[in-house]
Amino acid sequence: MVIDDEAHIRRVIALKLQKRGYEVMMASNGEEGLEMIKRQEPNVVITDIMMPKLDGKTLCEKTNDLKRDRPFLTIVITCRVSPNEQIWIEDMRDAVFMEKPFSPTRLVDCVDQYFGTES
Amino acid sequence: MKTRWIAIGLMFVFLAGIGSFARILVAQEQRDRIQEIVDKGSYLTSLVALHPIADLNEQRRSFFLRTLTQYVSPEGLVYCFVHDRKGNLLLSLAPEGLSARIPQEIEMKSLLASELTKQDFAIRNAKDLYYEFAKPVFEEGQKRGVVRLGLHVPPLSFFSSQRVSLIAVLAFFILAAGTFVYYGVARALLPIKGVSCELQGNQSASQRLPDPGKSSGIGAIIENLEQSFDQIKAKLTQTEMQNLELATKLGVLTFEKNVIARTIDSLGFGIIITDIQDNINHANAYLLNLLKQERKEVVDRPLAEVLGHEEILAFISRQESLENKSSTNHLETTISEFSQEDTFRVSASYLRDVEGGVIGKMISIKNITSERSAEKSQHGFIANVAHEFLTPLTTIKSYNEMLMEDEIEDKEMQREFYNTISEETSRLSRLIQNLLNLAKIEMGSLSLNTGLVKTDWLVQDSLATIESPAQKKEIILEKDLPDNFPSLVGDKELLKTALINILGNAVKYSPKETTIRFSLHEDDEMVTFEVKDQGHGIGKEDLPHIFDKFYRSKDQNVAEQTGSGLGLAMTAVIIHLHGGEIEVESEPGEGSRFIIRIPKEEYHLEKH
Repeated sequence: MVIDDEAHIRRVIALKLQKRGYEVMMASNGEEGLEMIKRQEPNVVITDIMMPKLDGKTLCEKTNDLKRDRPFLTIVITCRVSPNEQIWIEDMRDAVFMEKPFSPTRLVDCVDQYFGTES
Repeated sequence: MKTRWIAIGLMFVFLAGIGSFARILVAQEQRDRIQEIVDKGSYLTSLVALHPIADLNEQRRSFFLRTLTQYVSPEGLVYCFVHDRKGNLLLSLAPEGLSARIPQEIEMKSLLASELTKQDFAIRNAKDLYYEFAKPVFEEGQKRGVVRLGLHVPPLSFFSSQRVSLIAVLAFFILAAGTFVYYGVARALLPIKGVSCELQGNQSASQRLPDPGKSSGIGAIIENLEQSFDQIKAKLTQTEMQNLELATKLGVLTFEKNVIARTIDSLGFGIIITDIQDNINHANAYLLNLLKQERKEVVDRPLAEVLGHEEILAFISRQESLENKSSTNHLETTISEFSQEDTFRVSASYLRDVEGGVIGKMISIKNITSERSAEKSQHGFIANVAHEFLTPLTTIKSYNEMLMEDEIEDKEMQREFYNTISEETSRLSRLIQNLLNLAKIEMGSLSLNTGLVKTDWLVQDSLATIESPAQKKEIILEKDLPDNFPSLVGDKELLKTALINILGNAVKYSPKETTIRFSLHEDDEMVTFEVKDQGHGIGKEDLPHIFDKFYRSKDQNVAEQTGSGLGLAMTAVIIHLHGGEIEVESEPGEGSRFIIRIPKEEYHLEKH
């Protein structure tokens, strides 16, 4: 599940993931994303932070409880501005962050790794 | 010496007193005796008058006289005559020669008396006073004769033994009492003497005082007292003057205190000053306003009572233990009693006197809501800018990576990717340009790179930049351009930035499948650019602020989009630098119309 308001980024991540054989869903804002997570129950959620309607941080907090019953990985893409901005991620279950600009390869490797350990 | 004269004087007074007292006694006794004689005389005369004359024969007469004399003391009875009606003497009892010396008129009056009469007379050359009582004798209703009785009061000896002894005893008692009183008073005044000596002892040695040991007489004591009173008076005058001085000083201090109070009243944050026991001494106007109380309701009350905010009170107590480290410690909190949303910064410090001893505390409370929100908005701005930078960078990097790893086989897709990279690079460079310009404006060093600007180029370039995003949203770009494009004088790049900002906004804030109309006109003096969209429009509250730096509307449609709030601000500055004007017309829901007018001639910006 890729959630980002920037179309280009959605595209490139989706493309990369699809090439590796993953099924990709997309949402363009946090609200849409949350709905889809609840409905579709993806294994991995890749989300931006700054988005209209519902930002990435709130999305993470809201889905944290869902992870208890059905765990999934959340990768948060951030523009790191100040040191303690990302501290909240440590309180989240199964969440990591990746700083912009990131390498899509690295991102996909991360997803691979997650699935690798799982299965 | 004076005392001796006083003593002598007193003695005379005393004697005079005794003397007059004795005289009064004598007079009193005399009066008593006279009264006695008179009473006896009247009685006897009446008695005799009752007796019939005829009975007065020989035996009877002596018996009668004997009785008479017995009754009256020998000194008292002098004579007794009984006359008949004609005045002939019937009976006579008188010392020899006395009857001759009784004045005629007395005798005559007596003889003619019709009832009991009393007369007094004095015999020539004698001091004795005689009383004659006369009464007519009636028998069977007829006047038969007259009885005349003579008594006299013997002179009183002034110095009778009784009197003398009485007076002596009295004198003794008076003297004794007097002496008693004198020494008693002297004794009683001794403590006063002690006090007066003390008082004098406090004065400087230059003030002479009589040797206290010399005499303990009342005179000395009184003298001492006099001196002491003088000194007390002097002290009093001195104290009054000191009082006056102090009052003046107090006046000055009060004035200064008022000045200080007024100064701290004019501060833009609250101040409470307390004493050591945390009772409020002063609270300035700002704070009273926050508390919504009058000064008199707050002064002298404990701090905890007036400012019942646990967090603050706890903070203040913590400050007490940290005081020595003189760290600037603040507490930032909300105070619900003042306001639900505002944030306040509280700090506390000790007030010390000249020697460094603690005399109280000062607590300041400042409303930092606006500071905080300014910080927040700045922070927000930076976050926004970072995002705006990193997003295109991410796109560029990832697309590039994919291309480099030969992951894109499709040639169409490859071209698309290259295009995207190019676009995003432009986007990034624009952003950088905007920020740089903003920095220059902030520092006051933005200058125009003036040259001749061909408006056709300007328009083409600007429109080209937004073509792609417009296409994505299926927005139609309508152009109303003249055949002959005017030229104007200005900074090419800046004008382009200005136009792109407007056009970009039009695309950003318009929903899908709407139209944006761009037109260009000229007249003699101005070139007019117009951008009209069918977007969300600008609300009345936002309209005055859209050209403010960092201003972003809270409207949903706007807040949704990412933006730095700088675009329009930048545009406005650029237009202004070119001597032009920018106008906006907008209705929410109906779109907006931006009109930019730039003079054709070069405009010299005056340095302010």
